[in-house]
Amino acid sequence: MIKRLSALLAALGALVVSAPSAAAYEPVNIVHTERVQAGPYGLTVGFSTWPVRAMQSLDFTFVPDGGIAGKSGTLQQRFQGTAQVENTGRGRSAPLARHPRKRDVWGLDIRSLDRPGEWSLAFTIDGPAGRGEGVLTGLQVLDQPGPPLALSWSVSALPLFGLVGFLAVAWRRSSPNRYELVAI
Amino acid sequence: MAVTAPGTTGTRGLAPALCVLLGAMSSLIGLSWDVQWHIDVGPDTFFTLPHLFIYAGSAVTGLTALTVVLRATAAERAGRELDPAVGGRAVGVFGRTFAAPVAYLVTGTSAAVFLVYGLWDQWWHGVYGFDATIDSPPHIGLLLSVSATIIGSLMTFAVARRERWGRAGVFLAVAMLLAFCTITSLAFNDANSGVHVVDISIAFTTVMLLLMATSFFRQPGAALLTAVTVAGLQVVLWVFTPWATHAYADSVGLPVRDYVEGVPAMPNLIPMSLIGVALVVEGVLLLGRRNGWSARLVAPLLGAAGAVAITALAPVQRLVFRGFPLNGFDYIAMTCVVAALFGLLAGFLGWRFGLMLRALVPTEEETR
Repeated sequence: MIKRLSALLAALGALVVSAPSAAAYEPVNIVHTERVQAGPYGLTVGFSTWPVRAMQSLDFTFVPDGGIAGKSGTLQQRFQGTAQVENTGRGRSAPLARHPRKRDVWGLDIRSLDRPGEWSLAFTIDGPAGRGEGVLTGLQVLDQPGPPLALSWSVSALPLFGLVGFLAVAWRRSSPNRYELVAI
Repeated sequence: MAVTAPGTTGTRGLAPALCVLLGAMSSLIGLSWDVQWHIDVGPDTFFTLPHLFIYAGSAVTGLTALTVVLRATAAERAGRELDPAVGGRAVGVFGRTFAAPVAYLVTGTSAAVFLVYGLWDQWWHGVYGFDATIDSPPHIGLLLSVSATIIGSLMTFAVARRERWGRAGVFLAVAMLLAFCTITSLAFNDANSGVHVVDISIAFTTVMLLLMATSFFRQPGAALLTAVTVAGLQVVLWVFTPWATHAYADSVGLPVRDYVEGVPAMPNLIPMSLIGVALVVEGVLLLGRRNGWSARLVAPLLGAAGAVAITALAPVQRLVFRGFPLNGFDYIAMTCVVAALFGLLAGFLGWRFGLMLRALVPTEEETR
């Protein structure tokens, strides 16, 4: 019994130890780029999927000419000219952060734009040459892939419907008496 | 009183109930950790430790339920009396092919549904990419399935309410369910324009579960003890979640993102106002017992008042811990009005659900 338990623990340990290596994280593979001029700074915007589709997540990279060292900035996503809430409750601009899987550039990892239409990305960059602003306009986002969202949500709500049905049956069968219903 | 307390059950039913509780706890901890992982670190595959916790939790609960159902079926076929202390009354599944104690029927079914939704989630990621959003349809399906598993766990303890372990398990399972419902409420993330639907949903489920536990125990202090258990769970998750996230990132050599907030996301969704609400509930029930008020009136009113308090204080919690500016007065006021209406329903339902949980135990008349 002890031997079996030890073997089981060893197997679990091996699984946990090997998990990180088995789970190789995908490299950021840019397949399309656009150029933006933000004041004195040239910026290359990279996309890991092209064309972009609504709700389909992808990697974005933002690479200023000369690299990100000594520079900082913000990003604002705009849908048909209206600034989107980047971080609920915090405001509509987010600081440009390094891409977690490509730390030498700024970026967004596995992020999607939530609806089809014309989007734009507005940048503010602070650096040695002062502040610069620029906008990547006319970013066309195509319709979402997959089934209609209403169908997807209906399928996802099935456990809730099942639970409500179960509770309804239990409600009818439990039939507490008047004392139980009113007593505190 | 028709629902008379049956005799004590000893530790019969404790082992499988504990297995289900541990499985559900594994899923809850894994979820909090996974959410934080996406926020603070980012890269995702199926083979991460938080995912292992989530999926292992469902596997443990599912296998436990299967074992209990098979044992009950074998016992019934052998002509032995089934023990209601293990999961409550048995119901026939597929005719009389299986005899499934109702708590384990709920647990096992929801664990199986979880696996189906896991497959759908994999397909979704194939089409939409490895989006790190918690509120995608398959994720919400998965969260609802785990919620149903925790309800099953709650039922396994509710049938042993005459035992200390049964009562302790109910407190813990209610706290876990309450914590879990906060993140499932994020399904309404995109509906927050006119009123804060996420806050209303959290208030609704929180108040409903608080009053359910109160109605189930029917003893002074039950509401407060429920709130204290929730707060304890919140503290544990608050400490564990960022620690585990950063330790795991270090162990696999991944960096933490720039500009992380340092506030654990899921634990911060749990309303800290709950203890205050529970104190009000205790006070009103004390008055109600003295003056003979009817629960039919008191429970919905307490539900409404509790929901308003939780909804009104949610923006304050976000301000204090995350620095979010307060919403406008009109927005908060309108959210509170809608929350009050849902709170009436939450109070009514919660009180009745507590009675339903009590009814899981056969009465003395039924057992004779």
